Amino acid sequence: MAQFLQATLYGLLQGGLLALIAVGFSLVWGVMNVVNLAHGAFVLAGAYVALQLHEAFGLDPFVSMVPAAVVLFGIGYVIQRYLVNLVVNGPLFITLLLTFGLELVLVNLMLYLFTADHQSITTSYAENSIVLPGDVRIPYGRLLAALLALALTVALVYVMRRTRTGLSILATGMDRGAARLMGIKARHVYALTFGIAAAMAGAAGAAVGAVSTFSPADAGRFTLFSFVAAVLGGLGNMWGALYGGLVLGLVQGIGGQLLPGTLVNALAFAVLILVLAIRPQGIAGRAFYASRVEA
Amino acid sequence: MSRVEVDKEVTGSAKTPAPVTPVAPLWRRLAPWALLAAGLLFGIGLQPQLYPAQERLVSTVLMFVALASAWNLLGGFAGYASFGHVGFFGLGGYTTALLMYHLNMSFWLAMPASVVVAWLFAALIGVPLLRLKGHYFAIATLGVAEALREIVINLPKLTGGGGGITIPTFGAAAPTPWLGNDGFYLLFLFIAVAVVAVAIFVSSSRSGYALRAIHQDEDAAAATGVNTTLAKTLAFAGSAALTGAVGSAHAFQLQTIYPDRSFDVGITVLMIVMVVLGGAGTVIGPIVGAITIAFLSEWLRTNYTDIHTFLLGGMIIVAVVVLPQGIASYLRDAIKARRFSPLENVRRYRL
Repeated sequence: MAQFLQATLYGLLQGGLLALIAVGFSLVWGVMNVVNLAHGAFVLAGAYVALQLHEAFGLDPFVSMVPAAVVLFGIGYVIQRYLVNLVVNGPLFITLLLTFGLELVLVNLMLYLFTADHQSITTSYAENSIVLPGDVRIPYGRLLAALLALALTVALVYVMRRTRTGLSILATGMDRGAARLMGIKARHVYALTFGIAAAMAGAAGAAVGAVSTFSPADAGRFTLFSFVAAVLGGLGNMWGALYGGLVLGLVQGIGGQLLPGTLVNALAFAVLILVLAIRPQGIAGRAFYASRVEA
Repeated sequence: MSRVEVDKEVTGSAKTPAPVTPVAPLWRRLAPWALLAAGLLFGIGLQPQLYPAQERLVSTVLMFVALASAWNLLGGFAGYASFGHVGFFGLGGYTTALLMYHLNMSFWLAMPASVVVAWLFAALIGVPLLRLKGHYFAIATLGVAEALREIVINLPKLTGGGGGITIPTFGAAAPTPWLGNDGFYLLFLFIAVAVVAVAIFVSSSRSGYALRAIHQDEDAAAATGVNTTLAKTLAFAGSAALTGAVGSAHAFQLQTIYPDRSFDVGITVLMIVMVVLGGAGTVIGPIVGAITIAFLSEWLRTNYTDIHTFLLGGMIIVAVVVLPQGIASYLRDAIKARRFSPLENVRRYRL
């Protein structure tokens, strides 16, 4: 029982982090209809920014979430404005291929700069745990990471719904033509959206670096998790990625307890395929067209 | 058709006009087959001229010609982008390996068996998956491929798990002796020719038109009487079966196969890159794309070993921006319209 509780808690904490990774991915997909295969590479770029700051100035990885987000915002903005915007009206394959090419470039750049070694950012407190009755442990690092991730996700939803910038992003996602007629600069808004998504991924990356090891080869895994979480939660709803991330984290946490070997990876996909077959709009999403009107 | 009806009205003739079916001139219908036969003869004639290393390189290129053409059957013609085709590649490879290892079956029986297994599996999962569209279909097929890999890893007694499985190919224990560089060259040549032949047949047959109609507008295709579910499922299963054949031959060539390499997503992506850069939905496109990318990738690997993936990624980006519709389609349109400026091309999908 205690083991089960521990697995559930771990799953939830991991799920919070997955939600922060997935929320940007889901935003880009929902607004621009671009599936960004380089999203996992952004997460790792954030982790490496935090690692460099930690090594150079001894900066705490959770503090580094801010500079990581700023750096990644810049990278994301430039990539969308001067590259992805060039093909954003193309068919599905085109944007997929472009972002795949980006992923190759970014991952290999990181391999070149930081080698393929597994790294982690160690802090004095992250390994200490709150011990609950029944010997259920909550490491401070994971708790902090999950809480910060949740706060950022909620903040993003607030920004999207309550500020002028957020509303212009949502409007462009609903109907680009109409948004442009209202004086919204679609090129800038798209770049902004991609930048925000990359910033979220970068912040998540810094937190990932604080709680686990990472290497450039993990990029594909993070992209896959974002994909699964985004689809699980459903597109077009700002809370979708949050639900999706939490469900994915729980499935992985509990599945890891019940299943032998690495079958837990297959389980995540089994859940995904099940959701797609039964409820393609995801847990919180709506049918495609409706989702474009409310966000 | 409408022209004929107008004529009828004007003349008021009661005579029913003969049904007009657009038929391409004979030479245009036969040209692809003649080119394919020439390609086969060229491939056979080329073989004695090659060093063993070149022979292996050309075998790999032929393998990718077959893979890209197989992917194109569904992805190019019907527009359903499968991101899980490596699953059928690995399934074919593992079926062959298991049959040869456990049952001592001859390769020449194991390969058709692998084709049948891949066909059946794709037909089975195709029914629910092909209800999905666009990105959803892509990720669902990706999920199937990843799940297959995890299953193979987690059945170590049967498949050797992550440590791989070795097909006995030498000595008395071997059900079929290894074919050697020459043998595999010919095997991949024949497979590639067979897959391209299927593509030529599909592109000019009723089923090809059905798939293209699905690509353009699935609801409209269904309304005009195309059985879309059947057409999609058959294309998916056929494409998977051909991919399984390639996987089977590749496994026999490698002798030892590992789940991480047989189910590597990178192979799927290579298929897609080749098809898109060559020209999706055409017969010649995937061939051009496969030959270009395979040689380029190999050349980069030998000359810039450390950064070849980096360069490959950069080239994919440039090619997608400059030639988004693929080499074959670009040339066709450019020659037709006599406009060769690549700038116009860049403007096409720009925001």
